[in-house]
Amino acid sequence: MSRTAVSGSAMSEAVALDPGRLRGRPVRDAWRSFATAARLGWQMEANWTDPLLFFIYSVAKPVAAALILVVMIEVIGGSAGRGLRAFVVVGSALWSFVVSGMAGLAWSVLDDRERYRMLKYVYVSPSAFGIVLLGRGMARLAIGAMGAAITLAVGVAFLGVPLDLARVDWPLLAVAMPLGLVAIVALGAMLAAVCLQTRQESWSYPEAAAGALFLVVGAVFPLHVLPAMAQAAGLLTPLTWWLEGVRQALVPGSASAIGGDGSLWAELSGHATPGGIEITAALLATSALVTLVAATVFRLSERRAKDRGLIDRTSGS
Amino acid sequence: MTEAGPTPPAVETRGLERIYRIKPRPVTALAGVDVRVEPGEFFGLLGPNGAGKTTLIKILTTLLLPTSGSARVFGFDVVSETKQIRRIMNMVAGGEQSGYGILTTREQLWMFSQFYGLGTREGWRRVDELVELVGLTEQREQRVSTLSTGQRQKLNVARGLLNDPWILFLDEPTLGLDVGAARAVRELMTAWRAAVPGRTILLTTHYMAEADELCERIAIVDRGRILAIGTPAELKRRVQRESIFRLEVDRLAAGARALAPLPGVVSAVPASEADTGREAAGRGTVAITLVLRDDAALGGVVGALGELGARIVALRKSEPTLEDVFVELVGRGFEDEAEGDGARPPMPGAEPAAPGPSHTTHPHEPGEPSDEPLAT
Ligand SMILES: Nc1ncnc2c1ncn2[C@@H]1O[C@H](COP(=O)(O)OP(=O)(O)OP(=O)(O)O)[C@@H](O)[C@H]1O
Ligand SMILES: [Mg+2]
Repeated sequence: MSRTAVSGSAMSEAVALDPGRLRGRPVRDAWRSFATAARLGWQMEANWTDPLLFFIYSVAKPVAAALILVVMIEVIGGSAGRGLRAFVVVGSALWSFVVSGMAGLAWSVLDDRERYRMLKYVYVSPSAFGIVLLGRGMARLAIGAMGAAITLAVGVAFLGVPLDLARVDWPLLAVAMPLGLVAIVALGAMLAAVCLQTRQESWSYPEAAAGALFLVVGAVFPLHVLPAMAQAAGLLTPLTWWLEGVRQALVPGSASAIGGDGSLWAELSGHATPGGIEITAALLATSALVTLVAATVFRLSERRAKDRGLIDRTSGS
Repeated sequence: MTEAGPTPPAVETRGLERIYRIKPRPVTALAGVDVRVEPGEFFGLLGPNGAGKTTLIKILTTLLLPTSGSARVFGFDVVSETKQIRRIMNMVAGGEQSGYGILTTREQLWMFSQFYGLGTREGWRRVDELVELVGLTEQREQRVSTLSTGQRQKLNVARGLLNDPWILFLDEPTLGLDVGAARAVRELMTAWRAAVPGRTILLTTHYMAEADELCERIAIVDRGRILAIGTPAELKRRVQRESIFRLEVDRLAAGARALAPLPGVVSAVPASEADTGREAAGRGTVAITLVLRDDAALGGVVGALGELGARIVALRKSEPTLEDVFVELVGRGFEDEAEGDGARPPMPGAEPAAPGPSHTTHPHEPGEPSDEPLAT
């Protein structure tokens, strides 16, 4: 190829090209991206033009979900169901947190790509794409936590959940909470990876995935009612251990979702219910596994999206 | 990039190919592109819809992987050195309503300033500077959702300048803007680049006038290939030896096609809208860009028009435009696509066009080897 016609404006010393610009400060830059994404993410999620809608979504929905379950066990089990109340209310409150946390990351991908059409601009910026998504997801995680806390408070105040701050197992709570958070975010990242691949609007995927998990994690009914295969799936899911850990920490001695007569756990371990150490160890192991898998899936998905030109795809284009 | 050595080209691609594997059959969006843009240039990619312009920009901005070949931005490989490229480039696309509607103008810019690693105070300073530069001072605390299309694009431009890029990629930045807003965006870009030597812009457009006005060098692309590269003047010189007429006729049922086979006619294609096509359409007449081997052939054309029952409404000789260059290179008008690929009139003196329904095939090459960039 002949290049004799190259422009005359090429210059030997280009003033604009400051090589200092090529270097970043990885840790500081990552933190900045994360914090900004979280802050503006919160503004986007919570600063809704309609506070009523925000209230319904973040508070009324989880509280109603818990109430429905309470009424159901009341009708079916009568007074015998009373003992299950605390189990169900705590499980259902925590689950609403799981769902909004998992959906957070996935919806950030869809929002930015479909609604705001900004995903490509975020993507071509030097900040790590995954970090920005994590930041964006924090807002929904926080909203979910708020809903869960209010649901719990309603449970304690009106539904007789025996939460006694003096009896709470704080060490177990302090260990289980962050591990569970990591697991929820990892699952959210996996969902985000899936949503990145779809060309349709896949807003319902996160809730569908959460619905499937709901069956096996012992959120509102114990695992031992499930077939062995489903119980095994439950035992491999960090959310199962997280729910169990938080439940045992908040209301020590409440019914176990994992163990019990005829449970796979009892069969495998030889004793009826897992103790605090076992719960922590299992939560740690399964969370680590899920995080590893999520990181791999996310990386593969990003690569594939880049290969197929999906990062700036919208369902309309 | 070695910091001590000479500055590498702002953009350099070699045999760059991109195939989209889609059903029912793969689409070749780039079929071996070799292009080199020097630091400091205002470089344009001019081509019709589907030419592959956006695909090339997406590869250079690390949004898309090439299928084969290589592409480098300031010496950094688009596949393996994305971090460096992202720090020194930015891009602005047009024709889309993008933005975080619920944030204000300043908030959205600030968000990106943080993604580009600016400090908090530095970030706000830069944001306010750019808000003023693009003329959004009055809208700075307004929500993005309330901005007009033109204002949103100015916001988009401001975002593109946040990191003071070495190279700015503009993908049809004035698409969908009215005349005033489009001019504002063009002036911004020109002024930004001129302010500091070394700043580079790669612009894609399918507006000839825009490319002609802004770009120092232009690559004409079609069907994933570069047909010619040169300054606007160099490109136009290719067609200078021929005579170009703008012809407007009434009652010519067969359209421009009827004139193509006449002796001395190099090409006869409908004039583009940007040129005279729109006015003519308003009057119910047909505007044709007529390229003749020399002025003497005009008599024959006028006579033939009479025999065809057509009436000449207007006729004027004109200076060559980039559109004429395009017609000369590909044997069809820029906005001819609607007629369907197979129906294109063959170029006189060339083999009839192979009907090419997709971008995987390539039409006849005109008289001279056309994917050879112009060298003068
Ligand atoms: N993600 C994609 N998947 C499949 N085909 C694609 C994709 N993106 C582009 N193409 C095809 O690749 C070809 C080149 O498209 P491209 O968008 O690069 O053209 P362009 O020159 O930017 O056109 P326009 O002026 O319309 O923006 C077209 O035939 C288009 O249909
Ligand atoms: Mg395009």
